[in-house]
Amino acid sequence: MTLYSAPLRDMRFVLDELAGSERLRALPGCEEVGPDLIGPVLEEAAKFCTEVLLPINRSGDEEGCTLENGAVRTPKGFPEAYRGFCEGGWAALGADPAFGGQGLSRSIGMLVEEMICSANLSFSLYPGLSHGATMALSKHGTPEQKALYLPKLSSGEWTGTMCLTEPHCGTDLGLIRTKAAPAGDGSYGITGSKIFISAGEHDLAENIIHLVLAKLPDAPPGTRGISLFVVPKFLPGEDGRPGARNGVTCTGLERKMGIKASSTCAMAFEDAKGWLVGRPHKGLSAMFTMMNEARLGVGVQGLGIAEVAYQNAAAYARERLQGRALDGTRAPDSPADPILVHPDVRRMLLTMRAMTEGCRALLAITALQHDVSLRHPDAVARQDADDFVQLMTPIIKALFTDAGWEAAVLGMQVWGGHGYIRENGMEQFARDVRITQIYEGTNGIQALDLVGRKLGAHGGRYLRSFFHPVLAFIEAASEEPAMEEFILPLSKAFGRLQQVTAEVAQRGLRDPFEAGAAASDYLRLFGLTALAYAWARMAEIALQRAEGDAFYRAKLATARFFMQRILPETSSLAAKVLAGGETLRAFEEAAF
Amino acid sequence: MSLTTGAPMVETELRSATAPAGHPRPAMPIRKVGVVGAGVMGAGIAAQVANAGVPVVVLDILPGGAARAVERMLKTEPAPFMHKGAARLVTPGDLEADLALLAECDWICEAIIEQPEAKRALYARLQGVRKPGSIVSSNTSTIPLAALTEGLGEEFAADFLITHFFNPPRYMRLLEVVRGPAARAEAAAAITEFADRALGKSVIPCKDRPGFIANRIGGFWMQSAINRAFDLKLTVEEADAAMGRPLGIPKTGVFGLLDLVGLDLMPHVAASMKATLPADDPYVLGLREHDVILRMIAEGRTGRKGKGGFYAREKGPGGERLKRAIDLWTGEYRESEKPQLESLGLRDLRGLAEHPDRGGRYTRAVLLDTLGYAASLVPEIADSIADVDAAMRLGYNWAYGPFELIDRLGAAWLAKALAEDGRPVPPLLVAVGEGSFYRVRDGRLECFGTNGAYHAVPRPEGVLLLSDVRRRSKPLARNGSASLWDIGDGVACLEFHTKMNAIDLGTVEMIGKAVAMGKKGGFRALVIHNEGEQFSVGANIGLALFAANIAAWGEIEGLIEQGQKAMRSLRDAPFPVVGAPSGMALGGGCEILLHCDAVQAHAESYIGLVEAGVGLIPGWGGCTTMLRRWAENPRAPKGPMPPVAKAFEMISTAQVAKSAFEAREMLFLRPTDGITFNPDRLLADAKAKALSLAEGYAPPEVKPLRLPGASGRVALAMAVQQQVALGRATPHDVVVCDHLAETLTGGRKDHTEETTETELHALERRHFMALLKTPATLARVEHMLETGRPLRN
Repeated sequence: MTLYSAPLRDMRFVLDELAGSERLRALPGCEEVGPDLIGPVLEEAAKFCTEVLLPINRSGDEEGCTLENGAVRTPKGFPEAYRGFCEGGWAALGADPAFGGQGLSRSIGMLVEEMICSANLSFSLYPGLSHGATMALSKHGTPEQKALYLPKLSSGEWTGTMCLTEPHCGTDLGLIRTKAAPAGDGSYGITGSKIFISAGEHDLAENIIHLVLAKLPDAPPGTRGISLFVVPKFLPGEDGRPGARNGVTCTGLERKMGIKASSTCAMAFEDAKGWLVGRPHKGLSAMFTMMNEARLGVGVQGLGIAEVAYQNAAAYARERLQGRALDGTRAPDSPADPILVHPDVRRMLLTMRAMTEGCRALLAITALQHDVSLRHPDAVARQDADDFVQLMTPIIKALFTDAGWEAAVLGMQVWGGHGYIRENGMEQFARDVRITQIYEGTNGIQALDLVGRKLGAHGGRYLRSFFHPVLAFIEAASEEPAMEEFILPLSKAFGRLQQVTAEVAQRGLRDPFEAGAAASDYLRLFGLTALAYAWARMAEIALQRAEGDAFYRAKLATARFFMQRILPETSSLAAKVLAGGETLRAFEEAAF
Repeated sequence: MSLTTGAPMVETELRSATAPAGHPRPAMPIRKVGVVGAGVMGAGIAAQVANAGVPVVVLDILPGGAARAVERMLKTEPAPFMHKGAARLVTPGDLEADLALLAECDWICEAIIEQPEAKRALYARLQGVRKPGSIVSSNTSTIPLAALTEGLGEEFAADFLITHFFNPPRYMRLLEVVRGPAARAEAAAAITEFADRALGKSVIPCKDRPGFIANRIGGFWMQSAINRAFDLKLTVEEADAAMGRPLGIPKTGVFGLLDLVGLDLMPHVAASMKATLPADDPYVLGLREHDVILRMIAEGRTGRKGKGGFYAREKGPGGERLKRAIDLWTGEYRESEKPQLESLGLRDLRGLAEHPDRGGRYTRAVLLDTLGYAASLVPEIADSIADVDAAMRLGYNWAYGPFELIDRLGAAWLAKALAEDGRPVPPLLVAVGEGSFYRVRDGRLECFGTNGAYHAVPRPEGVLLLSDVRRRSKPLARNGSASLWDIGDGVACLEFHTKMNAIDLGTVEMIGKAVAMGKKGGFRALVIHNEGEQFSVGANIGLALFAANIAAWGEIEGLIEQGQKAMRSLRDAPFPVVGAPSGMALGGGCEILLHCDAVQAHAESYIGLVEAGVGLIPGWGGCTTMLRRWAENPRAPKGPMPPVAKAFEMISTAQVAKSAFEAREMLFLRPTDGITFNPDRLLADAKAKALSLAEGYAPPEVKPLRLPGASGRVALAMAVQQQVALGRATPHDVVVCDHLAETLTGGRKDHTEETTETELHALERRHFMALLKTPATLARVEHMLETGRPLRN
């Protein structure tokens, strides 16, 4: 039985002390986000996750989803859990109050999502996709579309999907073949096949609202000719209740490595009735407005798995007795010491922990900026905050999901042979989290997004939202002698990142292949430097409060570990980036 | 017409009259000019003559019309006059009362209504007034020469030419000249000489055929581009996008150009071409009336001068600016849309012409029409394809003339495409076969002649083009941003070649390299010149913005310091350095000129220190040099404050001189700096200036300045507060002004002490960096890069 105990102390730390929840309260619509709200919300969420979602994680993995006569049955306990989820108000947590949502800030919403992902990644996909569909409709839908769909999606009565991928194209959506033919009454007949559709068909809700990319008859070629349509599984009648069945069916369930309790469907649209969302041919840009949100969400999935893998590895290392400590026996009365005493086991556990807590800290900082970008009354402040979110989105998606995979694999390693045994649950984390590095834009695509779209945009303005505050922090914190052990490595990594950024931008302008060749290593270099910034800020807080408080002492110790045993990776990353792409280009294609 | 037996490609009489130094034929100097007709063209021609420093009489048929035209021109933008003083050289008069004023004129240019009878009647009157041997020319664009001289006698015909200017006469460099069979060679030579050197025109000899070169081909192109857009059902935006960037035609394309010149002009041009060209000429065969266009003209929607044209800008219900475009089938306005055709994203011209979508089919059709027609017109309208290309480049602002476009497509490709469509293949195209119309042999540019052989593209005497130097030699040094060339007689030329010639680290390094090579005795003098549209738009602020965004402050300050060092090294080098700008010399580009020992400027040089527009101050010695220029100006009041006030006023408001003459008034140029009207002659003039300085050259002495310090700053701050009160200065203007004032007044120094150049350069650096760290400055830089306009924050 896997363990999970929501890291509420650390969540409150990153939210209140690091990001500063008082800044959140200064935003319109967040005035009530005080300790008496944050505490109960997080505690209730933790309770739901550990009591309802965690127990059906292993069984869901074993049972999986089944398809019969076009209907998908989710594993035992899932419909009940989903009902509990909606009744508890969790579906409506972040939704617009105008449509029945609770309008809770992203800063808190992201932490709730982390808990759900730790407890049951498969389950998180169902509300996660609804959230994406809600975003798309609220940003681009007509008032009628909003009134029809948003209240049902907010309450969770209906769920949503995002139908982008087709059998022959995923990353390059310009190639899609699904067609939309005008029906003459303002609606369109949608025809085509989509694959890898999460929550495409299931038994959790009475209706499923598909958001579908398709091409109009006069569409220009490529990505400039894609339009977005809303296609409900059941056509809502006059009363808004689900009516006639629409021409959309699940034709198959993908058999996959992990997230087996998530229904991943092949969908067939046969002259299905749909309505245009947003402007003709502007579907991809409409998609992109929610892509950022979705990518941050996938980053949170990586974080969630890293946390639960760490907790289970640490617990096992405490109990499992093997060998004697190299620096003196710890448990003379036992036949062996707990493996926690071994330096390599400690290396693994601290790596997991330093990455997990660092990612959570960076997430909290980013989520707060996200809230500012959505709610701040001043346009300049909104833009500055949005710049930061734009910049961090590909980094969070790729870095956090890589960290999730690394933590899952390290967790298995700590468990030794038992980590490879299915019933112990450790290998499920690895299988479940592996998809997060792939979907919602592979991590390679994230890296290209960073160097191609984020680096040079507006003369590098997005970068300013990171480089200026970090430099200001380094300069201010340099005055404090106790901070030296954190500031020196941070400023070294920061200087390296400045140099490499200028180099990548210049080379990329001359030769896009060079930018592509640098992208993945550059993203990780950026990500680790961002984590170093988060760790140095956490250390600054912890230094003032460490006396007599184990939480802050552990923070400082983890910060030291990060600075000394993880951050140096940036120098090898910089060397790799600066080596350039010639070796990638020169290799003869035939020899692969 | 047979190409093989036809005349070999002889240079026309006109050109041989101006050319080689070996056969000097003294051209009568033109010391005074008369212009009859004070319409847009006549008045503009008179203004350009005055710009050249030559007195000019301008007469109009309407009483007071000429005087009003001069008044109007003083308020026109872009300005016909290069400086206010030029207007004083213009003597306006009334045709009836003041005809006698023309008696002293060496050249009388007629620019009255396009009616042969009216023109002939005027010429008859001139015969009684003008002095013997004076030249009369007509600015007609449509009337055959023979019809103009008919019945006026041999003496008149001997002195008569057609001189066809393009609008606006100050800025358009093409002058088409037609010399009739009876005209004196000396008359053509005198006008060519004057137009070339004094007015800065490129004189292209033309045959006496309707529309000469540019309007014959340009008019035909417009007609084809309109007809084909209707045939192939393109939107106006699609047609203009297809004609614009890929072909190298200005981005107005065809419909945008019609809006600019006026739709109502079209029927007149059509009627004139129909009346003068043979009925089977493709131009006449292609004449068509489009109902939508006729309706637009009838409704007064004739373009930018009327109630909008194919495009119109309207205010939306919320006051937002809407761009509208005509639907060519309904004649109604709709929201303007960016074209989405795949073909229009292609950069390769042939790829575009072969693309199957309607953008590709359209481009192919218009190219086949226009280029096929142009190829069929040599030698009918001109003897040299190089003249045809030059006329289209200079008269229609095409980046490539028709024969250069054919070379880009491939002559054989065009011949094949024409044959495929069942159209005639012009003999010249057949003759060139698989070859190209231009080639480079032994470092010389050659063009294909009507006799089937290649001939060197002729250059008028005294013309030195860097592009010719580039063809025939290897650079002395080169990097990605700049090159150093040997231009003969021990003179080197430093050429910039970045986008818009923005200055980056490579440029600064090449300046250092040039100075080092000169110090080692590599050359006796250095000219800084390039053939770009702009001499230099200043430091590459895109790079600076990126560096600032990643907080690479050390690197930026290092570049500022390195730039200051490069500027000082230009001035202190043991050899003379001559700047030879044309077009914009802004910011860092201006600072380079300020550190040259002398400048030979194209008259169309636009010089200024514009850093304040992007929230910065000049950091490469611009502040320091402007202080010194005003301090050393003998006409300026004495004392520490006047130079500071002048430099502050100019820099804080980012003033740009709109001609070399204005630059002289603003002290960007010294009285001793030269001005050249014809850009083709700029490099040769600059080289001559450099050589004249080289003998016994010693670098200038740099004296410290006495600056007013804190008391001066108080005065400047008060002036700035006044501007704020008047609503002319924004909050960030005040910040920029504070830093500028601190720099120009000498920081902590005051008038009792001397402030050295080193100290001033340190002040420039410090305040430049301080401003660059403000978000408001970064927002200005970003806005300028993204919109090309200053942000007023």
